[in-house]
Amino acid sequence: MSWWSRLLLAARFVRREIVSGELTILALALLVAVTALTSVSFFSDRVERALTTQATQLLAADLVLNGNQPAPPAIRQEAQRRGLQLADNISFPSMVFAQGQATLATYKAVSNSYPLRGEITLRGADGQSSKGVLHPAAGTVWADARLLRKLGLKLGERISVGNTSLLLSGEILREPDGAMDLYNFVPRLMFNSADLPATGLIQEGSRARWRLMLAGDDQQISAFRQWLGQHLPAGSRLENVEEARPEIRTALERARRFLGLTAMLTVALAAAAVALAVRRYLARHWQPVAVLRCMGLTSSEVLGLFVCLFLLLGLLSGVLGALAGYAVQLGLMQLSSRFVGEVLPDPGWHSWLLGPASSLLLLAGLALPPLLAIRNVSPLAVLRNDVVLLRSNLLAPLAAVLALLALAAWQMDDAVLAAWLLAGMTAFFAGVAALAWGMLWLLRRLPAGPRIGWRYGVANLARRPWLAIVQIVALAVGIMALLTLTVVRDDLIAAWQHSIPADAPNKFVINIQQNQRAALLDRFAVAGLQQPELSPMIRGRLIAINDKPLRPSALQDERARRLAEREFNLSWRDDLPQGNQLVAGSWWQGKAKPQFSVEQGLAGTLGIRLGDTLAFDIGGSTYRARVTSLRAVAWDSFRVNFFVLAPPSLLQQQPASWISSFRLDGTQEEFANRLVAAFPNITIIDVTAILDEVRAMVDKLTRAIEAMFVLALAAGVLVLWAALAATRDERLSDIALMRALGASRSQLRAVVLAELAWLGAFTGLLAALGAMGIGGLAAGKLFNLPFSINIWLLPIGMACGVAVVTLAGWPLVGRVTRASPLAILRAG
Amino acid sequence: MTPIDNKAVLSAQNLAKQVVFNGEPLNILHAASLSVGPGESVAIVGASGSGKSTLLSLLAGLDQPSSGEVALFGQSLAGLNEDGRALLRRDKVGFVFQNFQLMPQLTALENVMLPLELAGRKDARDSASQMLSHVGLGQRLRHYPRHLSGGEQQRVALARAFAIHPGILFADEPTGNLDAATGRQIIDLLFQLNSEQHTSLVLVTHDNELASRCDAIYRLVDGRLNGARA
Repeated sequence: MSWWSRLLLAARFVRREIVSGELTILALALLVAVTALTSVSFFSDRVERALTTQATQLLAADLVLNGNQPAPPAIRQEAQRRGLQLADNISFPSMVFAQGQATLATYKAVSNSYPLRGEITLRGADGQSSKGVLHPAAGTVWADARLLRKLGLKLGERISVGNTSLLLSGEILREPDGAMDLYNFVPRLMFNSADLPATGLIQEGSRARWRLMLAGDDQQISAFRQWLGQHLPAGSRLENVEEARPEIRTALERARRFLGLTAMLTVALAAAAVALAVRRYLARHWQPVAVLRCMGLTSSEVLGLFVCLFLLLGLLSGVLGALAGYAVQLGLMQLSSRFVGEVLPDPGWHSWLLGPASSLLLLAGLALPPLLAIRNVSPLAVLRNDVVLLRSNLLAPLAAVLALLALAAWQMDDAVLAAWLLAGMTAFFAGVAALAWGMLWLLRRLPAGPRIGWRYGVANLARRPWLAIVQIVALAVGIMALLTLTVVRDDLIAAWQHSIPADAPNKFVINIQQNQRAALLDRFAVAGLQQPELSPMIRGRLIAINDKPLRPSALQDERARRLAEREFNLSWRDDLPQGNQLVAGSWWQGKAKPQFSVEQGLAGTLGIRLGDTLAFDIGGSTYRARVTSLRAVAWDSFRVNFFVLAPPSLLQQQPASWISSFRLDGTQEEFANRLVAAFPNITIIDVTAILDEVRAMVDKLTRAIEAMFVLALAAGVLVLWAALAATRDERLSDIALMRALGASRSQLRAVVLAELAWLGAFTGLLAALGAMGIGGLAAGKLFNLPFSINIWLLPIGMACGVAVVTLAGWPLVGRVTRASPLAILRAG
Repeated sequence: MTPIDNKAVLSAQNLAKQVVFNGEPLNILHAASLSVGPGESVAIVGASGSGKSTLLSLLAGLDQPSSGEVALFGQSLAGLNEDGRALLRRDKVGFVFQNFQLMPQLTALENVMLPLELAGRKDARDSASQMLSHVGLGQRLRHYPRHLSGGEQQRVALARAFAIHPGILFADEPTGNLDAATGRQIIDLLFQLNSEQHTSLVLVTHDNELASRCDAIYRLVDGRLNGARA
């Protein structure tokens, strides 16, 4: 047979198969798989892009070059040449005078293009608040509420700013990059950079930070970031929201993983649906293949036909599925836009490609191995009216796992993570199959129940062990996903939100002098507030690891270089701080000899291992000690944390300033002002704004995940239907026969319901066990959260299993009980 | 119009079946009447597509006629709903099908137990195994249909049909899927059980030799039944 005639044959074959409706179930399963997969991908892609955008709003730009002098003209020119948007933001501390009073404020001079990202919320002189891309016009100045209150200012008055005076035209309610300056508690004053020369405030040696703000599309920014890396002026650094803010970075990273987990579960559901549909399709084609073989087609020609068929089917379903996925995702957007943002960025091309690619990959992994068995169909099979069960070999699960791994790696963008999850799932599949087998074995040996429905329902399940196991495994995956996404998800989110407790400190106080400690704590006692813990803070530079001098310039990693360049805040104490966890070594006891405890992230970045000897230069003296422990620090706890700790014996003699954190609620705000009035040298940093940012972001992520959970839920129900559809023919013929033999409608209903209930109970039980496992794995490996096993999962799982299987299954199989006994005469 | 024969096990009067096909009414059975007495055997012969299976399904109460009436054991099927007809079948009607219609997932024993259990019989297991021994399959109780030959499968089907001691047995081409020799054995067994249990028999076949062993033969031609008592 020539290739051309083979192709023609295949084309005719494909057309007939599609027209005959034999492929409908498989195509639907693929379509659902791809729709689920791509809609989650589109959605998470766009949500992630939106979140990244929101994160960059904290910078008010995509990229910021922060220097102690203006950025060189060459850099500005290069940025302009590349088509990037530019804005300037020069900030410096200075005093403000008004109404005969003076206070220290942070001045911020911005150019007309500020902000490049995010929006400013402002109250104007008319009392109306407005929100948008706003900047103060030349000759005007905006101030925040704190400054207005402190100086008793009203909008419309004039303020002296250096050598000039500006019109106070607005009250800043919110500025995108306001929360960025963690140590900028002091009141804010914003004016147009055009007025800067007239103020005369910037002199040689002024402590100004010059921020060149840049914005552009992802490619432009990442290209320019690279270019800047090689042309970074001395005394400058790049500000990057992820590196600058560990708590935001943690939130984003967790969100990414959570979305990936959701997508991964959807993939597993989809795969189960496809596997069931393929199995049904091939089982129904055993005889036709035998006929084709009788007609003289070689086994490889037959295989070629089906491969062509599946290729075409995969491409069609992939493209249609991607379109459907986009449509579903638009619906999700409608649902969640008010949480995630009104206008989301468009998805990337890879989400579109995911449609056909995932469809073909799923087919390759799930359809190809059973399809290969078709080569073994003997023409003799036409003479035998056997029920052919597809035998599984090692190839089938291997191919399925590989396909899933590829999809998971794509979805999660992390092959190792994907492998971890898949390993868990594979173990789960094997475990479920073994457990299901055991339960069926037991059932088959139980004495028959007194009721016909019970007896035959149970027997129906037990007498189709292979099929029952396939169903139980597939359904258990679905319900496991549901459980994971509801109960376990709630547990995880609770654990996550718990890591940012409601009573997290919202004020940091720094620069407390040794002799002010007792008086300061007294103030808390007098005000009826809980006395906060004070920690000593000593500045020191890391100069050597294991007596090898640390040369920052020799370090490859940018973050490591920056860490090595700057001074560390060291502290000493007896006990392990709250929210810190030992990950290696042991904590010192009693009067310990000199040693260090290092935060594990820092240790990783700088290559510090347990047992290494670190040398710090503190006030001109060198302090040497071994690292005896590594700590995990919950940075998003908003407590005072230190990279390096030592026992009192090492650093107690060093002059230290003290730092603390505490919580003040609305009515207690005044306490902070009284504290500053009493101790003018201390600085109080208000982290309420930062906390609100982080909590808002956590809330939005939760919404996004919930929205995706709705889709995964739908996919789960569809898998259930595919599983029931796969057994529908057999069920139909069983029921018709029983009907012909005189079974009453209620007997048939009892048989079907009992089977569904048993299926649901088994499935739910196994799903609960699986969800426990996945929850533990996710908490430990993905999110670094504490996770305790929720024993309620077992009854909840079984109830869910029975409810889901019965409610979703009955509409499909319930109709079967109305099957006419006539069908039995027509069955071939 | 002849009145319903109360002594007859099965009595059909002017049965007609009309279906709508592509919007056009299509008559697949015209005014068929017949009656079967206790222990009597009746053959319905006809070519493929002549309406044999339709008639059988109407007689056995598996389907409802467009017009006309069927009475089984003196009870009109028209007055019974699907469950009522099922109850009647459960207690008094046996079936044998061309393609055996054994449940593939049940053993031979379990297949025979099924109608007994549907009827709530406590001795289902014992009765079923006795019946299987009676048809010569006493050693194959735990075998699944896929492990049995066609003839053996049809024996299981016969055992299943006769297990409830039916008043009437409907057989739809019982030898259609069997070779001639096996077919003859099955027919011998069928008539043997029939006479042992004094069961009435309605046999649908296109095999004239088989039909000739019955007490009466009806011919179906294009949906019209022409009766002829042997």
